[in-house]
Amino acid sequence: MTVTAYAVIVPASLLLGVVAGFIMHRAGFCMAGAFRDFFLFRQAFMLRQLLLLVVVSMILFEAARLMGFLPLYPFPLLGPPTLASLVGGALFGVGMVLAGGCVVGTLYKLGAGSVLSGVALAGLLFGSVLYGEIHPWWGAFARATIMGKGSLTLPDALGADPLLPITLAVVVVGVLLYRWLRQGKLQRHSPVRGYLQPWLAALLLALTGLCSYLLVGMPLGITTAYAKLGASIEQFVAPRHFAGLVFFKGLPLDYRYPLTQERLVGGPGPAFDGVAAIQYPLLLGLVLGGLVSAVLVREFRFYYRVPVCQYGSAFAGGLIMGLASRMTPGCNIWHIFGGLPILAIQSILFVMGLLPGAWLGGKLLTRLIIRN
Amino acid sequence: MDKEQKTPQIIEFDIRGQLCPATLLIALKELNRCKEQLHNGEIQLVFKTDNRDATITIPDAAENMGYGVEVRRVDNYYLLVVEQGHS
Repeated sequence: MTVTAYAVIVPASLLLGVVAGFIMHRAGFCMAGAFRDFFLFRQAFMLRQLLLLVVVSMILFEAARLMGFLPLYPFPLLGPPTLASLVGGALFGVGMVLAGGCVVGTLYKLGAGSVLSGVALAGLLFGSVLYGEIHPWWGAFARATIMGKGSLTLPDALGADPLLPITLAVVVVGVLLYRWLRQGKLQRHSPVRGYLQPWLAALLLALTGLCSYLLVGMPLGITTAYAKLGASIEQFVAPRHFAGLVFFKGLPLDYRYPLTQERLVGGPGPAFDGVAAIQYPLLLGLVLGGLVSAVLVREFRFYYRVPVCQYGSAFAGGLIMGLASRMTPGCNIWHIFGGLPILAIQSILFVMGLLPGAWLGGKLLTRLIIRN
Repeated sequence: MDKEQKTPQIIEFDIRGQLCPATLLIALKELNRCKEQLHNGEIQLVFKTDNRDATITIPDAAENMGYGVEVRRVDNYYLLVVEQGHS
C-alpha cells in the first residue's frame, strides 16, 4: 500500500526519536519535573527553558508556514477546544508527576535504565486501554462541550492571519526571555558528565519538532502508539471483549502526506497503519536515545531496590497519564512542542489544566515519599 | 571557635533508582533533621544518587543552608557529600 511514504516516515521518526531522547537525557529535559519543581520548590529554571522552546518553535513553524513548507496547517489530529482537554490536562498533570516523568520522559529514562519508568510504561499502556471502556460517554461529553465555533487555533477564532498573534506572543515572551538571559537565569553549571545546557536543548528540540512537521506532516506525538500497543495486548488477552470496543475501530488520522501526496489513515487499533508508521519508530527512538546517551556517559544501570510505594506511584501515575492522554486527546509533547506554538486552543486548555494537576501531583508524591 | 578535630560520623543514604524528586526531598528532610550535628561538624551526610538533576539541586539547596557540598563521581553514580560549612 502506502510504502513510499513509510520509507520516509519510519526512518525519519526513528532518527528524530533518537535525537530527542539523547538531548533530553543529557540536558535533564524532564517536562514533568519542570512543572512539578515550579510548585514544589519554587524553581522555575526548567519552565523557562520550556517557554524558550515554545517561542523558538513559534518562530520556526511560522517561518515555515510563510515559506509554504507547511501545507497542513493546522496539522492533522488536532481537534476543536472542549472541556475534555482541560480536564484531561489536569489529570495528565497529576499522572506525570506521580509517574516521575511524562510520556516521553518515561521513555528516555527507561532507556537510561530506570526500572520505575518501565513500570510507568506498563501503567501507560493499561491506562490507554482503559480509556476504551469510557470512550462512548467521554466522547459524548467532549462533543457536548465544544467551545465557540470550534475553531482550532486562536488566530482562527479571532478571524486573523496567524502572523500577527504569533508575532505578538513571540515579542511578549521574548522580552521575558531576554531579561532572564541578561540575569543569567537561562544557564547553570552542572558537575555531571556530558551535560547539555537546557537552553541549547530547547533550541535543538524545537528544530526536531520542525523536522517532524516537515518530514512527517505533523509535530512529535506519541500517545496513540500507547493505545495501539495496549490494544494489541488486549486483543490477545480478551479478544471477545476487545471486539466490542468502538474506540479501537476509529481512524482519527486521515491526511494526505505532503511529500508523496499519498493518503495516510490510522487509529488506536492494533493494525499497522499510519499511526504505527509514525509513532512506533519515534517511541523506539526515544528509548534508544536515552540508552545511547546513558551508555556513553557510563551511567547506564538498573536499580530496582526502591521503596515499594514508588512502584505503586509509577504505575498509578502511568495509568492516569495514559487515560488522560486519550481523554484530552494528546499529550504534553504534542500540545507543548506542537500545539502551543501555533496557538491551538486545545493545547492552551491542556496546559491550563496541566498546571493545577502538576501542583496536586507534587503534593501527593511528597506525602508518599516523605512518609516512607 | 572550637573546631572539631575528630573525623565526623558519616551517615549514608542510597537513593539510586528512586522516583524524582525523591533524592531532593529526602536530602532536604535529612538536612533539616540533622541541622545541629551538621553545623557542629559531628556528622557528614552522604547521598548516593543516579539522578543527574540532583547533582545540581541538592548542592544548591545545601549551600543556601550554609553547608559545604562536594559532588563526586563514583562508577556509574554520583556521591553528594554534605558537611559543615567552611565560612
